[in-house]
Amino acid sequence: MSIRVEICCGTTCYMLGANRLLKIEEQIPLEWRSRVEVTAVPCNEACNSKESLCKAPFVTINGQLYSNVSEELLLDVLSAKVNEG
Amino acid sequence: MNTNLPFLEIECCQLNKMGQSVCGDDFQWARLENENRHIAVLSDGLGSGIKANLLANMTTTMALRFMRSNMDILQSAETIMDSLPVCEVRKISYATFSMVDIHDEGKTRIIEMGNPTYIHLRGTEEILPEGHSQLISQRWPDREMEVWSTSLQLGDRLVICSDGVTQAGLGQQRFKFGWRRQGCLEFIQKKLFQMPEMSARELSECVSSEALFIDPQKKCRDDISCLVIYYRRPRTLRLLTGPPFHREDDARFASLAVSGADQVIVCGGTTANILNRELHTQVSINMKRIRGDDSLPPPGMMKGVGLTTEGILTLTRVASDLESGNWENAPEAAKEIIEKLLASDCIEFIVGTKVNEAHQDPSLPIDLEIRRNIVKRLKEILVNRYRKNVEIMYI
Repeated sequence: MSIRVEICCGTTCYMLGANRLLKIEEQIPLEWRSRVEVTAVPCNEACNSKESLCKAPFVTINGQLYSNVSEELLLDVLSAKVNEG
Repeated sequence: MNTNLPFLEIECCQLNKMGQSVCGDDFQWARLENENRHIAVLSDGLGSGIKANLLANMTTTMALRFMRSNMDILQSAETIMDSLPVCEVRKISYATFSMVDIHDEGKTRIIEMGNPTYIHLRGTEEILPEGHSQLISQRWPDREMEVWSTSLQLGDRLVICSDGVTQAGLGQQRFKFGWRRQGCLEFIQKKLFQMPEMSARELSECVSSEALFIDPQKKCRDDISCLVIYYRRPRTLRLLTGPPFHREDDARFASLAVSGADQVIVCGGTTANILNRELHTQVSINMKRIRGDDSLPPPGMMKGVGLTTEGILTLTRVASDLESGNWENAPEAAKEIIEKLLASDCIEFIVGTKVNEAHQDPSLPIDLEIRRNIVKRLKEILVNRYRKNVEIMYI
């Protein structure tokens, strides 16, 4: 099953780390790379509620929203998804 | 925005004489809004460098002021010549000039003193002047002035050069007397035959580069200036940024993206989402475009609309680069917006005024400018420096 990663490129997300997340493909182990599709999306407006303030950057992985995403966290989630099969 | 009136694209490309840090030619222009007129002056100061620049700048400044107040031409020229500082080396004061006065309906007057004769083109055909007279000052009898009158039609171009263009290549086997006006005219006709829609900016750059290219060592042996005035139907661009204050205005806001402009740019994620929802379209971002400078998010394309970018950061960068005049190394999103803005004549900013709370996030590393302020800054620079007609509509 392929894994679709959508990185929010809204202003707040981009300033808080989405610029680095866009280059995550380079860090994905070669054996997973064909299964992961990374794409940039315009602001997904996840930041637009009081509860989610200060939680950028946001990334959606197979439809599930993740907040405060770092490169490490993203690689961990991808690893878990790959292992799930 | 009234886009039915003809638009005057005025661009002047200048190259400094080798070894000089400033150009010894000067160009200034003004739009006289209440009189529906444009006036422009190109002057070539005696010598080169700072001294020449000073003479040329004094000439353009005075000439523009006199034209603005409709002062008598002869009296204007005499005042200019009386005022210029005398060169210690040559014991004379000198700066040539070409003054252009264009009414919106096309009626045009050109006054030349010492500069090469202007070129008027309709497509590739040279248009001869409708009237000509000569003015000679009693106090400065060796400074003859040519006064030409002509009428511009939609699509016409005027080209005015300093002698650095017409004398390019002087002394070579092929150009014993330089490129001359005729050589320059033939080059322009050839270019316009190949590219009939060429902008004033492109043509002025093309002529200046060719003048430099003619020199066997590709050296600029005199200051080079090429002023191009293109009288045409305005190219319109509409830039939408920010969500409307009231949600019920979203549909009207979105409809502005698909009507009434030659080009549309959408700046802002929420703005793009509103358009996606209202117009049932979608943004696609090419991941190959994230390489290189990553200080701005990559640009995308919205089907049926046009270029889409992030909002505040990108517009701030566009404003800074337009102010500095250097965007060669700008990230793609900013560069694309700048190129589209400069290729347009009438620019309309549609600014949604709803505040994005996420932009107040205290963990953001820099303060974000308020959208309205950036757009006002953009308007100022586009009008004053890049001669664009700009309007802002808040929604």
